[in-house]
Amino acid sequence: MKVTEDERAYLWVCALSETEPKEKLALLRAASPLDVFRHAEKYLPAGAPCAPLSEREKGVDAFLLSLEKKGYFAVTPLSDDYPEPLKNSSSPPFVLYGAGRRELLRARKFCIVGSRVTPPWAEKLGRSIAEELSERFAIVTGLAEGGDSAAIAGALPSGNLIAVLPCGLDECYPAAHISLKNNIKSSGLLLTELRPEEPARKYSFHARNRILAGLSEGVLVISAGIRSGTLITANCALDCGRDVFAFPHNVGSAYGVGCNELLKRGAFVVTGAEDIFAVYGMTGRKRQEVELTPEEARVLSALRDRGEAHLTLLSEDTGFAVFELSAILSGLEIKGVAVRSGGNKYSAV
Amino acid sequence: MIAKIVCYALNGLEGVPVEVETDVNKGMPSYDMVGLPDTAVKESKERVRSALKNSGMLFPMNRITINFAPADIKKEGASFDLAVAISLLKASEQLLGAQVGDTVFLGELALNGDLRPIAGLLPILISAKGHGFTRFIIPEGNAQEARYLGGAEIYPAKTLGDVVRHLIGTDPILPLETAEYIPHAGAHSSADLKFIKGQPMARRALEIAVAGGHNLLMVGPPGTGKTMLARCLPTVMPDLAFDEALEITKIHSVAGVLGEEGIVTERPFRTPHHTATTVSMCGGGNKVVHPGEISLAHGGVLFLDELPEYKRSTLEALRQPLEDGKITVSRAGGTFTFPARFMLCASMNPCPCGNYGSTERTCTCTPAEIRRYRKRISGPLLDRIDLQVEVDDIDYDELTSKAENEDSAAVKERVDRARRIQRNRFEAFGINTNAEMGERELTEFCTLSRKSDEILRGAFERLHLSARARSRIIKVARTIADLDSSEEILERHVFEAVSYRISEMNG
Repeated sequence: MKVTEDERAYLWVCALSETEPKEKLALLRAASPLDVFRHAEKYLPAGAPCAPLSEREKGVDAFLLSLEKKGYFAVTPLSDDYPEPLKNSSSPPFVLYGAGRRELLRARKFCIVGSRVTPPWAEKLGRSIAEELSERFAIVTGLAEGGDSAAIAGALPSGNLIAVLPCGLDECYPAAHISLKNNIKSSGLLLTELRPEEPARKYSFHARNRILAGLSEGVLVISAGIRSGTLITANCALDCGRDVFAFPHNVGSAYGVGCNELLKRGAFVVTGAEDIFAVYGMTGRKRQEVELTPEEARVLSALRDRGEAHLTLLSEDTGFAVFELSAILSGLEIKGVAVRSGGNKYSAV
Repeated sequence: MIAKIVCYALNGLEGVPVEVETDVNKGMPSYDMVGLPDTAVKESKERVRSALKNSGMLFPMNRITINFAPADIKKEGASFDLAVAISLLKASEQLLGAQVGDTVFLGELALNGDLRPIAGLLPILISAKGHGFTRFIIPEGNAQEARYLGGAEIYPAKTLGDVVRHLIGTDPILPLETAEYIPHAGAHSSADLKFIKGQPMARRALEIAVAGGHNLLMVGPPGTGKTMLARCLPTVMPDLAFDEALEITKIHSVAGVLGEEGIVTERPFRTPHHTATTVSMCGGGNKVVHPGEISLAHGGVLFLDELPEYKRSTLEALRQPLEDGKITVSRAGGTFTFPARFMLCASMNPCPCGNYGSTERTCTCTPAEIRRYRKRISGPLLDRIDLQVEVDDIDYDELTSKAENEDSAAVKERVDRARRIQRNRFEAFGINTNAEMGERELTEFCTLSRKSDEILRGAFERLHLSARARSRIIKVARTIADLDSSEEILERHVFEAVSYRISEMNG
């Protein structure tokens, strides 16, 4: 990791000096980082602990070495690959710590987020959209279950994936996703503004969401409750002028209220990747048509008519016995055009 | 004079002959028992003394020694009372002329001389018959269960006095007539599939489970009829054959839970509560080893409601019996093997609050909570449950369906047909049902066409099934094909089999 003298100074000011964010801002405004670093006694606010210059030099060296040992890197606004859109967002992070494919920082980025509880159809659709979009964008998302995981599942195979963590790179939240996190580290990119050893705190989720939105050209919300973190991301996106996209959900569906609210406020309606490509003047690849038997076609069209339907209802619509129907639906599920949504209900995708 | 009387002790499900030898000598009056009797046996001293006196006979005021032979096995319980009393009478020359050498005496005495029924009579009779004994005197309370043992003279007696009068020939007791075994005689199950509203998926899963001997897991919100469905299982299972009925009766007799009928004519349905301990589930005990719930469910259904609430160790203990069809309980007093070939039917909620996947209510659980809840059931246990079905709470008023519900008898007919096919197929393999198939049978009888194999591969990729689900799905597909009277496993059978899994469960 090549680090200029300026960056070293900046890192000390923003990562190692024991100051509040507000004070950091004031320091950066008062003088160049190099000046602050060399004459810290002069600039640091009264009462802040201040080690001698040689100690400060050693501290920065040790910090950089520890990052390098773990395969992490630090990106500051002085680095030439600090994401441009992030600079233009509200309160850009002082430092970004990353692990994985650093070149993704320069890619066009698109954010896909969803609530931790996401209906199966939305997960499935979100996943396939993530897969298609990842050919043109680096997909930005979190590491949570549900919507985030769907986006990760879609984009991870291509490696064009940036997961922004609410904790340091040494930590993993949720802890159950440790292997997922390692996969992303090896084929995608992990980012966070927190120092590696910092755990996830209540407020770090809110802070992380602003990075999600700030990094990306647009944000797709696949599911969101009325008071969810996902909506915070969408609001951050609106604040810094990003495009907001959302899936339409059934009226009254608990995990779709937020999406419908966004649509009312003017978000783009998304039912497929082409809706997003259209906004950016791109064309996606052609969808593969799946071959269906006549029975499957009949059941699928009945399913499309109903939206989400219980087996018993479908059996009335199509005249198939329930056990015949469950066989046909398994086939549709394997072909990827239907999805099981719990309680013996199915929906078309 | 020395008298020798035969009676039987119970060792697990086997009867062991015990000779009661009594010597009445001249000397200071005393009354000793030797030969490893436990407290309940020693207490028979006082019961026998009172019973003799109250039946109008003399208790000899001499030096009495009673020996139980063989001396090296422990004798337990009160079933030796009658034999002790008779041997005392014989030794004190109060039964002159009576032939008792080849008769087995069984029964507990009351102080007034009445005979009380004993637990485990049927297994004792069966063992004794095997040892060549054909004449038995038993308490009348046990008459019902003894009735089904053919080829033996069995005399049911009410009191000690009756026994004595029978032996000296003044008032002989009529031997029991052998009863004919009728399955479902006196059946008291009121469950029937025709009372189940809706639930077509679960009904079908039930049918497949019984047809192929598969274990079944039902997942659904509370109050959707999971228990009611489970209660219908015995009503669609094949009738109990006499041998099977006798074996089940033996277990129930030893456990002392035999009903009025004296023989089990209906498949057992056991529902141990989730606070059940491992010992109560698998069998055990301090001195007398009792069969556990899984043995009582032998030949029938073990229903575990709210599966994740059971203690993990208890559930894990089920794995080996599920595989072997028997349980071996080892205690300091000995090692006992009880049969335990049962069908496991379990039910659980989809999540801790129970509303996951519900149309009416919203689930308040976090994904981590749901995962934790489902992780309580271990993979290896889940491996032994071939069928997983969701039971849902759809609002049936909204449905326009007027379809009549099939009753259990119709389903049972199809099940019987599928079972016949399996019996013919597995004749040379020593198994009866598809669920018991091992790797060898799977390769022999479950070859998939190339198309079906592709479907299965597709299913694994698209639906993220775990590798262990594969043989489970194939077994179920085999049963569905049998229900369809199809020699080959067709694509539609595989498709349907794939639908009986809940992907989240297999994580």
